[in-house]
Amino acid sequence: MQQIYDDIRGDFRYDHELNGCLNCGICTATCPSAQFYDYSPREIVQLLWTENVEQIYDAMQEKIWACAQCMTCAARCPFKNSPGGLVAIMREVAIKHEMQSAKDVLRPFGRVMLKLITTGNQLSPDMIQPDHFPDWGPNIQKVEGDLLTLRKAIPVKTLQTVETAWEVSLKTSVEMYTIWEMTGVLDSLELMDENLFDVIEDFIDEKREDYEDWLEEQEEEDDD
Amino acid sequence: MTDQTPNSTEGQGIAGHGSFFQQTDLSAEEAVRATDWVRKHVDRRTVDLGDRMDDVREHMYELEKEGEIIIHRITDDHEPISVKTMFGWDKKVPTKQLWHHKSCGQCGNIPGYPTSIIWFMNEFGFVPGKDYLDETDQTSCTAWNYHGSGIGNVEALAAVFLRNFHQAYVSGKQHGFELGHFFPLVHCGTSFGNYKEIRKYLVESAELREKVTKILGKLGRLVDGKLVIPEEIIHYSEWVHVMRNRIASDLQKIDVSNIRATSHVACHYYKMVHEDAVYDPTVLGGNRTAIITSVAQALGAQVIDYSTWYDCCGFGFRHIISEREFTRSFTMDRKIRVAREEANADVMLANDTGCVTTMDKNQWIGRAHDKNFSIPIMADVQFAALACGADPFKIVQLQWHASPCEDLVEKMGISWSEAKSTFQEYLKEVEAGNIEYLYNPELAYGGKA
Ligand code: SF4
Ligand code: SF4
Repeated sequence: MQQIYDDIRGDFRYDHELNGCLNCGICTATCPSAQFYDYSPREIVQLLWTENVEQIYDAMQEKIWACAQCMTCAARCPFKNSPGGLVAIMREVAIKHEMQSAKDVLRPFGRVMLKLITTGNQLSPDMIQPDHFPDWGPNIQKVEGDLLTLRKAIPVKTLQTVETAWEVSLKTSVEMYTIWEMTGVLDSLELMDENLFDVIEDFIDEKREDYEDWLEEQEEEDDD
Repeated sequence: MTDQTPNSTEGQGIAGHGSFFQQTDLSAEEAVRATDWVRKHVDRRTVDLGDRMDDVREHMYELEKEGEIIIHRITDDHEPISVKTMFGWDKKVPTKQLWHHKSCGQCGNIPGYPTSIIWFMNEFGFVPGKDYLDETDQTSCTAWNYHGSGIGNVEALAAVFLRNFHQAYVSGKQHGFELGHFFPLVHCGTSFGNYKEIRKYLVESAELREKVTKILGKLGRLVDGKLVIPEEIIHYSEWVHVMRNRIASDLQKIDVSNIRATSHVACHYYKMVHEDAVYDPTVLGGNRTAIITSVAQALGAQVIDYSTWYDCCGFGFRHIISEREFTRSFTMDRKIRVAREEANADVMLANDTGCVTTMDKNQWIGRAHDKNFSIPIMADVQFAALACGADPFKIVQLQWHASPCEDLVEKMGISWSEAKSTFQEYLKEVEAGNIEYLYNPELAYGGKA
């Protein structure tokens, strides 16, 4: 528990995000999540400010995941604290310590995370369909037609894609995977969801092979 | 506390507050004074914040002098226009030679917003491949993932930022121009906020710079062994803001004075690194950020304020996917209902993919709870394009919006049904392979202009 607190406090952003607290509650008054969840940014700040280690741990079991990361609190706090920024640090630490809350909360997000990590894009056109989002209504497009054709009718070539928001070159994707690896993002993912990690690793390997093949082809063409 | 205090219980303080709680017993005048203090410090942008905050650009110039970084500068060739930020600092907004940094939410979801930006650039006679570039060598900022899941870290976000902006810096070479010819124009609100936050950390932390220099070196994305950092981070709605009078005077074709427009500015535009957001004393008294409202004003629409202007849309990154009740309740109750009931708005204008998606897509399900209110939602630039005569389907791409755009378009004097049937005819052409582009598609792949 102490280690968790030390990890939060040890983040280099900590002193940016927490300068003191008047306990005025302005952050909570403007926080969207405070209106819907048992969650209060003021409470988060107070727990950290008063170094209430046990309750910090408790808050990380669930509450921190309520924050919508809108940063309204940060814009409003007279002390220039950023409760939302502190929550971001706490989430990273929760993942590092493999807390169950993180695993539970992130599971339903897995499909999007797969897309995000493998393509760097999130809601792609093929996901924005009624079967994925029944609550968005039957007519989430105003024109009938095949998705690919509708995308082809967008007069910007890079957007004529279905599985990603825009076409991303292979080299670019491979560079992004290198960043994920070198910065430990893939390790965090493995801690959270091993199955998802395996799927993503396979995908990345495949893309890298494609890239190698492409490079070879280029060389052969140059030789010709 | 005395016995006369009506709510007190001996020794327990006011119910629910604990024994330490003391009533303030402020007189009416004192209460007004206190409230005024809160207004001054909380409602209005406060000047004293500026005194305590360093201008990150000053530190960047120092780092550049010390030979640590290269600043991607805005030059006269970018034909910049200067605006004021929240703290009265000057910010140069380049108007030309822009590298479109796309948004992963918007392009998949609201494609009419990037197409409208590019359409405007063409209307101004900009030459693709010289005055702007749209290429495939870019990733999203990946901050959606970070803010949604917590999986990620500052180092990864910084490496992605530097990788993308290195590409923007060198992209001109391929087209026969100098390094730095194209300056990044960020389409997404979250990318904009995230990049500014990360830039600050990079400038402050030598350790972070050292770590990412290794990564960027491995990717071959250093220039003379140095990191490249842009002088300003520019959001597309800032471009629209500085171009608004030219848009209205040179291109506007449709009178929109009968349109009641409300705005919703992305939280990550003006609440993250808020000192950098653009304010203008002629727009909402300079108490709110100027973008979006300023273009609606310039076009002559009736700009209507509403009480939840400052509220977030309820997007929440992960929430819109896996905690949908929160997202749709918040957006319906705090934004759509209020804009409908208080402002009787014909349209809500926004400047970010997350906000447009959230407010656009969650209106239908509201009916299940007798929340029968709806408003068309679109980006400021889409509305401006409509006012300038752009086709609602082919260019503004309103077919992807779930909110009821039909009435708005008709109220602007454009026939929705005619535009729709023309578009359906066009779809047949598309199927036959006769596709119209806004510019030479080869440019998308880094080809020559
Ligand atoms: S960032 Fe989180 S804590 Fe802050 S106002 Fe938004 S939801 Fe609330
Ligand atoms: S607004 Fe700032 S000072 Fe007030 S309770 Fe929240 S964190 Fe503390």
